[in-house]
Amino acid sequence: MQQYRVKDLMVPISEYATVSVGSSLSEAVTALEKAQEEYVHTQYSHRAVLVLDQKKQVVGKLSQLDFLRSLEPQDEKNKRINDIGKFGFSSKSIALQQEQYRRETPPSKDIYAKAAKLKVEDFMQTPTEGEYVNEDTLLDTAVHQLTTGHHLSLLVTKEKKIVGVLRMADVFAATFHVMKEVKAIE
Amino acid sequence: MKELERLLDRIIQRVNINLRELEYDVNPLVQNLIPPNQMTKFYAFYGITPHHPLHLKFRHSNLAGSYFLGKCSVNNSLLYKSDIRGDELKQKADLFRYQNFEIPVDEDEEIEIEDSFLIKTLVHNFSHDPETLEKFVIRDTISTHYANIHGSPSDGCFLGPFATVDLTTIRDCLIGAFSYIQAGEVSHLDIEPGTVWVRNPETFNFLYRFPLQRLSNYIYFTAGGPPQGIFIDFVEDRKEAFQRVFNVVNLEPSVPVPGSASLDRFAVIKPKTHISENVLVSQRAYLQNSWLGKGANAQEHSYIINSRLEGNDITAHGAKIIEAALGKDVFVGFNCFLRGRPEAQLTIGQDSIIMPHTIIDVRKPLTIPAGHLVWGLVTGEKDLERNSMSLKAFAKIDTRFSKGDMLFEGSGGEFVTAFKERIQHILEANGAFFNGISNKGHAQQNQNISFNTIQPYPTGEKKGLYPTIIIRP
Repeated sequence: MQQYRVKDLMVPISEYATVSVGSSLSEAVTALEKAQEEYVHTQYSHRAVLVLDQKKQVVGKLSQLDFLRSLEPQDEKNKRINDIGKFGFSSKSIALQQEQYRRETPPSKDIYAKAAKLKVEDFMQTPTEGEYVNEDTLLDTAVHQLTTGHHLSLLVTKEKKIVGVLRMADVFAATFHVMKEVKAIE
Repeated sequence: MKELERLLDRIIQRVNINLRELEYDVNPLVQNLIPPNQMTKFYAFYGITPHHPLHLKFRHSNLAGSYFLGKCSVNNSLLYKSDIRGDELKQKADLFRYQNFEIPVDEDEEIEIEDSFLIKTLVHNFSHDPETLEKFVIRDTISTHYANIHGSPSDGCFLGPFATVDLTTIRDCLIGAFSYIQAGEVSHLDIEPGTVWVRNPETFNFLYRFPLQRLSNYIYFTAGGPPQGIFIDFVEDRKEAFQRVFNVVNLEPSVPVPGSASLDRFAVIKPKTHISENVLVSQRAYLQNSWLGKGANAQEHSYIINSRLEGNDITAHGAKIIEAALGKDVFVGFNCFLRGRPEAQLTIGQDSIIMPHTIIDVRKPLTIPAGHLVWGLVTGEKDLERNSMSLKAFAKIDTRFSKGDMLFEGSGGEFVTAFKERIQHILEANGAFFNGISNKGHAQQNQNISFNTIQPYPTGEKKGLYPTIIIRP
């Protein structure tokens, strides 16, 4: 039975979608589409874009959720509605107030054009300590790291450099493959 | 005086330690809020009645201009012009009902204030925390101008001006100006100004948040200065009237007071005011050219000016009613600001409930129909449509409902019932239903209070501090 390590499953950073700090969301979407077209190794396409600084170091990650977040109104009232959870309301009630707000303040027609011009650094997530994994780490440990941290991907390091991305889809595929192997032996 | 300054620093530090998780520093807000020489100018006073236990303990504290009634102890604290009203505390052998429990009270409850700085704050009612039945504890807490701590044990909290915590245990919380919190038990919450939150877990949850910009016209508080806005201007404009009632020892009531009514000698009564049977007027209340029908009440820091209250109307702590006509059984909650104009009267139909911390400020005549619930900020018809509902319609909510900036979840019927039961309890407690023999309440029991004064060290290191004083029957 194969003992996978992170480096066996990761997508090399050269094959991943990347943009520089200062890029617009529109440029990031274009980079993501291009990387998706070029990456044909598996059926799973890329779902995020890495943001690099001037030294080509990864300083952030932009997921599909972050793209969608850019379409949300950024005004004080919307922030207040998002804060309602601390008062013990259910998500259905919070959604109800969101709907009410949208009825009273319909989004402008050029919302997409405006979002396209926004900067990636305003929506990217800065990787936390638990989102880095060494390339020699065993698959079991990486699975633990993904599940406990609720991450969709991990940044793979070699020494101090980021060399790739370990995606949950690839880990799932590998795990499923091992599972089938075990079943065949039984 | 140095001792007084050290005490303030100690309190600020203790509150900041409790609020460190919220990254809040109270020092810039509080350090010069009350000039130290103000804290040495006023005497403190306490009431003696045959109806309330007398047990007062003061140690290492300043009590400038503060009032005490019942059983309370104050330790390492600064109480500036605050009212510590222990006339609703639990008594020995009472049964405290909480969920399915009936817990016997072992001894008379005591208000215990430690390491706290209360400015013009009202402390009233009894602890609703089943874990501290015999102690109503306020510890490591700073509350600013006209805050209400009502039946709410507080530990490590900061209350902005005109904030109210009601029947809620609060720990390590920041309660913004003009916020009203009635939520059972809360901790580590940063509540922004103008939040009105009434929650009974598993039953209902009501939330309204004022538009901050419009609210800032009424109350605004930031570091480096005292609270500002219409609320402060309103009370400051009438401050002088209170000086006379505090300076004169023997003061005869300026209007006829029926035998079943109570007019506190520290209330201000201006001409052409009428007080009917079973009316309660508490200390620091201000009445001018107004008619109070049978069973109506005006609680601490309330103002009723050029208005008519038909009867059994409640003007809760800090509420202001100006140029208004209230039908019977209208409830005006804590710190409400209801202002009509001479040419634009505000009319409130009978059985209506004006939620705590509601502002109705109109320049055109406005009528609130009978049996309505009103909340939030109302300056005209459009706001009223957005911020009110008939109680009947509200009672029909059974899942969730959103209107304007208000969000409600749970049973509207239970919410309305809870309010109505509480209104009934307040009227009973205040003696509105006294029939000459039974149903006595505060209006009857608070008559004939004798007041006694105590004063601090006049000079030296301890200037402003009161000596340790224990007063017992």
